Amino acid sequence: MRSRELLVWVALALLAAGCGGGGVREKPYVDRLPLPPDTMTVTADEVGPHGGRFVVGATSSPKTFNPIMSNETSSNEILQHLFISLTDVDYRTQADIPMLARSWEVSPDGRTVTYHLRRGACFSDGRPITTADVLFSYDVVMDPTLHPSMQDALVMEVGGKRVAYTYSAPDSYTFVIRAPGPDALLLPHAANVRIVPRHVLEPAFRTGAFASRYTTATAPESLVTSGPWRLKSYLENQQTVLERNPWWFGVDARGRRLPYLDQIVFRVARDQDVAAQMFHAGELDGLDNVKPEDYPRYEADARTKGFTLHDVGPSFNTNFVFFNLNRHRRAEQGRRAGDPRVEPHKFAWLGNRDFRRAVSHAIDRAAIIRGPFYGHGVKTWSIMTSGNPRWYDSTLTAPDFDPDRARAMLDGLGLRDRDGDGVREDAAGRPVSFTLLYNSDNKLRESIAALLQDDLARVGIRMIPTGLDFSTLVTRTRHDLQYEACLGGLGSAVPSDPGMGANFWKSTGITHYWDVRQPPGRPDTPAEARMNALFEEHVATHDLARRMATFHEMSQILNDECFVVWLPTVVLRLPVSSRFGNVQPSPMPHRILWNADRIFRRSAAGPG
Amino acid sequence: MRTFLLRRLLQSVPLLLGISALTFLLLQLAPGDFLSTMADNPQVSAESLEAMRRRFGLDQPWWVQYLVYLKNVFLHLDFGESFSRHQPVFQVLRGGLANTLLLAVAAAAVTWCLAIPLGVIAAVRQHGWPDRALSFLAFLWLSVPEVLSGLLLLWFAAATGWFPIGGMRDLDHELFGPLGRAADLLRHLALPALVVGLIPLASRMRQMRANLLDQLRLDYVTTARAKGLPEHRVLVRHALRNALNPLITLFGFTLGSLVSGSFVAETIFAWPGLGTLTLDAVRAQDQYLVMGSVLLASVVLIAGNLVADLMLAASDPRIRHE
Amino acid sequence: MSEAAAPAGVSPGRLVWRQLRRSPLAVAGGVLLLLLYAAAALAPFLAPYAENDIDRDRFFHPPTPIRVRDEGRWRAPFVYATQRGPGQSHVTDRTRALPLRWFVRGAPYRLLGVLPADRHLFGVDAPGRVFLIGADELGRDVWSRLLYGAQVSLTVGLVGIAISFSLGLLLGGVSGYFGGWVDALIMRGTELLLSIPGLYLLVALRGVFPLDLPSQQTYLAIVAILALLGWAGLARIIRGMVLSLREAEYVIAARALGASSLRIIARHILPNTLSFTIVAASVAIPGYILGEVFLSFLGVGVQPPAASWGNMLIAARSQRVLTSFPWMLVGPGVAIFVTVMAFNFFGDGLRDALDPRRRPEGRA
Repeated sequence: MRSRELLVWVALALLAAGCGGGGVREKPYVDRLPLPPDTMTVTADEVGPHGGRFVVGATSSPKTFNPIMSNETSSNEILQHLFISLTDVDYRTQADIPMLARSWEVSPDGRTVTYHLRRGACFSDGRPITTADVLFSYDVVMDPTLHPSMQDALVMEVGGKRVAYTYSAPDSYTFVIRAPGPDALLLPHAANVRIVPRHVLEPAFRTGAFASRYTTATAPESLVTSGPWRLKSYLENQQTVLERNPWWFGVDARGRRLPYLDQIVFRVARDQDVAAQMFHAGELDGLDNVKPEDYPRYEADARTKGFTLHDVGPSFNTNFVFFNLNRHRRAEQGRRAGDPRVEPHKFAWLGNRDFRRAVSHAIDRAAIIRGPFYGHGVKTWSIMTSGNPRWYDSTLTAPDFDPDRARAMLDGLGLRDRDGDGVREDAAGRPVSFTLLYNSDNKLRESIAALLQDDLARVGIRMIPTGLDFSTLVTRTRHDLQYEACLGGLGSAVPSDPGMGANFWKSTGITHYWDVRQPPGRPDTPAEARMNALFEEHVATHDLARRMATFHEMSQILNDECFVVWLPTVVLRLPVSSRFGNVQPSPMPHRILWNADRIFRRSAAGPG
Repeated sequence: MRTFLLRRLLQSVPLLLGISALTFLLLQLAPGDFLSTMADNPQVSAESLEAMRRRFGLDQPWWVQYLVYLKNVFLHLDFGESFSRHQPVFQVLRGGLANTLLLAVAAAAVTWCLAIPLGVIAAVRQHGWPDRALSFLAFLWLSVPEVLSGLLLLWFAAATGWFPIGGMRDLDHELFGPLGRAADLLRHLALPALVVGLIPLASRMRQMRANLLDQLRLDYVTTARAKGLPEHRVLVRHALRNALNPLITLFGFTLGSLVSGSFVAETIFAWPGLGTLTLDAVRAQDQYLVMGSVLLASVVLIAGNLVADLMLAASDPRIRHE
Repeated sequence: MSEAAAPAGVSPGRLVWRQLRRSPLAVAGGVLLLLLYAAAALAPFLAPYAENDIDRDRFFHPPTPIRVRDEGRWRAPFVYATQRGPGQSHVTDRTRALPLRWFVRGAPYRLLGVLPADRHLFGVDAPGRVFLIGADELGRDVWSRLLYGAQVSLTVGLVGIAISFSLGLLLGGVSGYFGGWVDALIMRGTELLLSIPGLYLLVALRGVFPLDLPSQQTYLAIVAILALLGWAGLARIIRGMVLSLREAEYVIAARALGASSLRIIARHILPNTLSFTIVAASVAIPGYILGEVFLSFLGVGVQPPAASWGNMLIAARSQRVLTSFPWMLVGPGVAIFVTVMAFNFFGDGLRDALDPRRRPEGRA
């Protein structure tokens, strides 16, 4: 009897759930607050009605809501909606566009920017944003004790010393930044600083407790934001809900306040596969990371299931192989200063430009595109892929697939198969063999590594792919420098500008992968000395033509030396529900929601 | 009883100390540290990394870090802060623990609600086809890796739409009434609890069966039957009750092991529990969070064992006198 | 743990064997296990292709059915050649029939690690391919990789219990026999290990072993990780059994005769824990096999391109694979499932056979 009663209760409960949870009861949108004097008119393809909710998948929960202390992507994904900077980047043209600053002037020497803030911009609690808040935010970023990582964007090396940018606020709506030297990326660097409310956070900053404010434990109502959205609710490892900031200063072409959507929901879907299923079930409205193998399925389902598979173009993320050309900087482990880190006989191959070029010739990139990329890939020969309209340089060349040429070059180096086992040996009889590290979490790299092994076997080189977890990989290739070759890649910064990659291009950089942190002023090769000089010029001038010329030259040097051996890049296609308008996925980070303030849900009757 | 309890509680302190030392050691043996992933970011300078390292105390030798950790624990009850979240460790783990316990209880309910009746059936129809069939089915489930069974159920949910595809609650959970919210939770709990709960089913069922068979062979059962009591009364009122006794103590052990056993289910079904938090923390080498998580899980395990022992003592007077 | 008094004239081993034979499932399980281990030992011979034989023209190739009728005529078993079609598809070319050849020459290998050989059980003429269970995302034969993977997955359990049982038996025996501070030390150690939830310890341990060792050493490291989790529970139980056996008459006699402690433990006490140990082993081995799958799930098991059932299963777990290339998932899934089932049935039968209470002619 007891159990039967229980069953009845459960059935009733389920019934109630079915009836009670019939969807969001939406209130029609009414803008009760006055528009500020300096609104920002946002251009978009269509004008839409207000209302609706967009649900996107996230691989993990944000770890913090503090935009200055945040260090990782899952938090930044959300913070970029909550907090703004002085300027922003237009994802289509890569140009700097106004945000908190409505206009600015750059001084003739390219070192000073004077911003004019828009009047009447308010935080999400209605308090006005003035240069006092901007000043405060910069003070926090430049604080020596707190030392957030974004501080590096506002520090420059001048004459071997690190000099910080200076800044001041002549009045409540004027802000001035001065760089120690000419900086082509002055505006994007300055825009690294997100504006936080001084009236809420200054006390904590003065007592040194800034880092523990605006954490995920903070009550959403007390999280005051400067961006188009504010936090509505947060559930660890489940979802984060953002709601419209009623004080936002952006308006559409008709002068109505943005954003259109009532809410954005970031729902945690840890697995790409699970996210795909959730999308197909209608639980997610868009996916920002789809495996190429699934493209045909999405294509087939697009019409019937009510979504659009957007062709976003080649990704900005690159894949490449690099070799360990690092040297000991002092006598240690039985080696002298200046000795290569890898064994000397291996350095004789890896350190040889022709060997590296032969490796590049041996790689069948078309097979990589056909296989792991399922046909959705393009060859790329530069850090700026063909998806980047501003920086893509189609005139760059690099050694492409030519196995005969590879064999000839290896023969020319004196590496022949002397004992008939299919693997070449050097003059001393040592087999030409090296290990290739890759990130074991990345299935794509795993498949690529297997194909590379096969490619190199065909020209007589034994390459041993070895998967490592990411943390170990970074330690080995960046700290211990104990590796022979590595399969890695670079993502895209915002903006996707070569000048953002100082640590990659300069020989002193910590991500100058093949030979990190060389002593300043003494690069290991003349080619790198030339690259250093070109990069210095590249970031010092505002003249776009000059920047492109320097970029071309240093990229060509990189390719001729084969410091990195380029591999293909995937072509992106992203599915987004057709119920939403103004959706324009981009290859840059925040692919679908970069323009979330303009996205709207189509009502049944059409735009209102 | 009280001295027993006190003694066990006191014993658990050095135990937890040892656990924390072991975990810390393992974390140190792993190459790299929390800042390794940051080192891959071309935007971050070496100076920033050094500054962060100093702030987190990661520039100190490992034994200094451990001693500082112990000092904070014993003097301030401060178990450290999560590097990535800048929050005290247990504040981060609180929610996850509650969710994992919920899943563990649900899974235990699945196991026991199935094991007991099925075990009885198997015992009563010993060597008959229900007995064999049930054994077979239980073994079947045991032989499928949890990874695969979880995935198959997830695909089943996606295909039929009867169950949500992972997660703990619906998007509109807040808008439901209390009954609706409970039902929503149950719907989300169903599949992960099934995956976790069906695994120990085989052994529990067989234990139930074995215990009941043992009871049925005892003299008092023969007496009861001779006295003319109906069979089902003999079974339920007498034999079953005695057969259940030893199994009750197992319940405590079960709960403890289920907390750790829900790892895979949590990952596949995106259940926001302790396992997910731990896995993320280990991957990021967020060491104090990992320590806190392991300590917490161990506490649950030890508590489960303690409860089991207490229940054993309560049910069996012979043990009480030790 | 009781020592069964055998009826006069029949050895305990014989008794166990007879009981075992009564359970058809246990017998089936045992036979299946023998076949699986034999297949693993002879893997290079039974596999037509090498473990890492990439075929660029046959990514995701479906299984090639072995036919005996070609256009209405009976022929010796053969397969049709295939061409690469659009996308990931393959088109059967019915004009070219490739006969199945036996004992073909193929990639060289060392049988059982010692005998160099190059004959494979079956194959077809190059450039044709015979895929019994289809090919994976790099065109490698799933059947061949399953056989090579069997070498890893089936021995993980054996090596694992070798390590953990040696540790468990030794430490449990020593602990129970000597008592005192040795006992206390070892038992505190086991409590420590047992109090950390197993998977948490596993996850924490995984970071310790650098994965850039050659695959052989990685494999041993993985097994060592799994084994270090297992010995503690066994040690405690063995200790309990040793405690009761310690006071048996023959032990006292042996001590009086001057036998060393170690000898007593090894030759007199531990053998009486044998039946329990055997049963525990048959239960533990499937645990290792599933543990290897879990480690691959975490991304730290045997690394590709080396094949193991765990990493083949994890690599194939996507819906696309399930719907379009199910053989990639079904192959390792069925292999793991069948092996674990076989162990479970065999172990169950073994337990019934070794437990005197279950035997009809034993004591009730």
